[in-house]
Amino acid sequence: MSDTDFLLESRGDAQDLGAWVIGVAFGREGRSCAFALGDGTVRLAEGWQTVAAHDGACLSICADAKDGVLTGGDDGRLMRIDPDGTASGVATYGSKWVDQVAAHESGLRAAAVGKAVHILDGKGAALKSLAHPSTVTGIAFDAKGKRIAASHYNGASLWFVGAKESSPRLLEWKGSHTGVTISPDGTHVVTTMQENTLHGWRLADGQHMRMAGYPSKTKSMAFTAKGRWLATAGADCVVLWPFFGGGPMGKAPTELAGGDGVICTTVACHPTQEVVAAGFDDGLVLIAEVGSGRVVPVAAPRGSAVSALAWNGVGSHLAFGTEGGFAGLIDLSKR
Amino acid sequence: MSDTTAREPVPVTVLTGYLGAGKTTLLNRILTENHGKKFAVVINEFGELGVDNDLVVDADEEVFEMNNGCICCTVRGDLIRILGSLMKRRDRFDGIILETTGLADPAPVAQTFFVDEDVKRATKLDAIVTVVDAKHLLARLADSTEAQEQIAFADIIVLNKMDLVTAEEADIVEKRIRGINPYAEIRRATKSDVPIDSVIGRDAFNLARILEREPEFLSGDDHHEHDSEVNSVSFEVDKPIDAERFNAWITQVLASKGQDLLRTKGILYYADDSRRFAFQAVHMIADGDFIGEVKDGDPKRSKIVFIGRDLNRPWLRRGFEACQAGEDESKIQAEIARWSPAPV
Repeated sequence: MSDTDFLLESRGDAQDLGAWVIGVAFGREGRSCAFALGDGTVRLAEGWQTVAAHDGACLSICADAKDGVLTGGDDGRLMRIDPDGTASGVATYGSKWVDQVAAHESGLRAAAVGKAVHILDGKGAALKSLAHPSTVTGIAFDAKGKRIAASHYNGASLWFVGAKESSPRLLEWKGSHTGVTISPDGTHVVTTMQENTLHGWRLADGQHMRMAGYPSKTKSMAFTAKGRWLATAGADCVVLWPFFGGGPMGKAPTELAGGDGVICTTVACHPTQEVVAAGFDDGLVLIAEVGSGRVVPVAAPRGSAVSALAWNGVGSHLAFGTEGGFAGLIDLSKR
Repeated sequence: MSDTTAREPVPVTVLTGYLGAGKTTLLNRILTENHGKKFAVVINEFGELGVDNDLVVDADEEVFEMNNGCICCTVRGDLIRILGSLMKRRDRFDGIILETTGLADPAPVAQTFFVDEDVKRATKLDAIVTVVDAKHLLARLADSTEAQEQIAFADIIVLNKMDLVTAEEADIVEKRIRGINPYAEIRRATKSDVPIDSVIGRDAFNLARILEREPEFLSGDDHHEHDSEVNSVSFEVDKPIDAERFNAWITQVLASKGQDLLRTKGILYYADDSRRFAFQAVHMIADGDFIGEVKDGDPKRSKIVFIGRDLNRPWLRRGFEACQAGEDESKIQAEIARWSPAPV
């Protein structure tokens, strides 16, 4: 047993799922943990139950509004998986891929399909369809569920979900934007870009922020619990940009868990503490405390990049999955 | 428990050609032939015929500019996304076939394979196959730049609908194709009936195979086209190439002329090196590497081919010649200066 695997071996449950793990999400009810796979199935950590979700591949997964998870697939379907593993169709969109899914605890759900973002209510009824100039590559609700941001070519669009007149605030920046997030206090929108850089907008005055210097594409980013830091993948460490004291403009980022020369592929922030979980290109999973820089390994490198990483709602459990199909669920609660 | 995903890159065949030339017929032929291979097919929404395959993806042909300082560098954003997703279930197919619309410029497709790090790692461009209609090609070439580009970019050209032309007409069309691209392999066909292994598994973008084929017909200096039309020039030199000079010169040529240069390929014998160096570029995006030791009896003649518009043959020839080791240093400086921006 490798020392790096101590937490996985002593407090974890691991499984080889046999297909690329495209994402993992915990249900908001606090019980279910679902892994979405490239073979179209969803696996529940409890008993490693297999649920047939999509005819093709799962492309996206998120926690549904109340409980269970939502998944999007290349079969054009938006599916819901109950905590007990019952799968049901929420919507179908023909031959188009359901590339991105998002949900808010208020009951709202969103699915990005081609250039459109479809907004649905808790029962699955279509509320509206938001049109964009090019294919939507990422979507994110703000913390209150009032607004939704969508990234696309040449910027991002920020929509008020409840507005009668649907026209977005267009956040423009030349180039291909590949993902989006909104700061927890709703003051900033940040996108990842094709060119190994992030771009941000301060919504109060439209001030641009360029966060550059990555050796590869950033495919994962997350704000820490109180929104003080934006943790990002794409470098050979976890890069954290300060969103306080006037930052990130003119501020150098903080680096955590670097030194091995291996690219960080996935990050996930603890829901209450300033703690970041990170997965790397070689399969290493660790958690790092922002304040002290202290790093605790969770799972040893197994050769395949970490492609999915998530905390549960209270921050007691961490789940991860790799491109090779290795998955783990670790109980980090105090004993 | 081991968990590795290091795999061979998936070959991608690009099928291009004008509407009605027979692309989809060729695609269906590839898919239905009993070769034991499974393909993922990426088609555009304006496809002529239905495609019968398990894994078919609709693409939107979203061409994006890259902010990498290269003015003509465009990529297919939809392709980056689609190939990325296909890689997550790559055990389900052996190769990918990508059909473009008739009006598509092949450059963004080809550049996607050189520019995007994920696409580069997981896939490799196998070949660009262009299907042309023997009956209508000359008219298409006269009225469309895309038709010229599709031939200029091609590794394999399927000269289709041979049943609709006489042997003489076919020869004229073939000669015209050779004027644009003497290095492509031409396969005459009726109803796109070419052997599948002539279009699939060609590995034409492998540096080790560049210029492996001898041209079937070299367009001579007498073959003068309008400047706006695509043609090709090629040069050979006897003396070894000075690597530093060549790099400085080709970098400047691609930077200033890259928009007009569709494909550039070269095999170089460097002074003081026992290996052959292969080089290729799509517009401004270049790729090069050593491809093994020089064999006994190899005449060691370095060669470069440019396919593009408005090619200044004397400038390119003199420049390449000045890259030879032992040539006067001032010569190459002058040749590089030709391609440099005029001082303001």
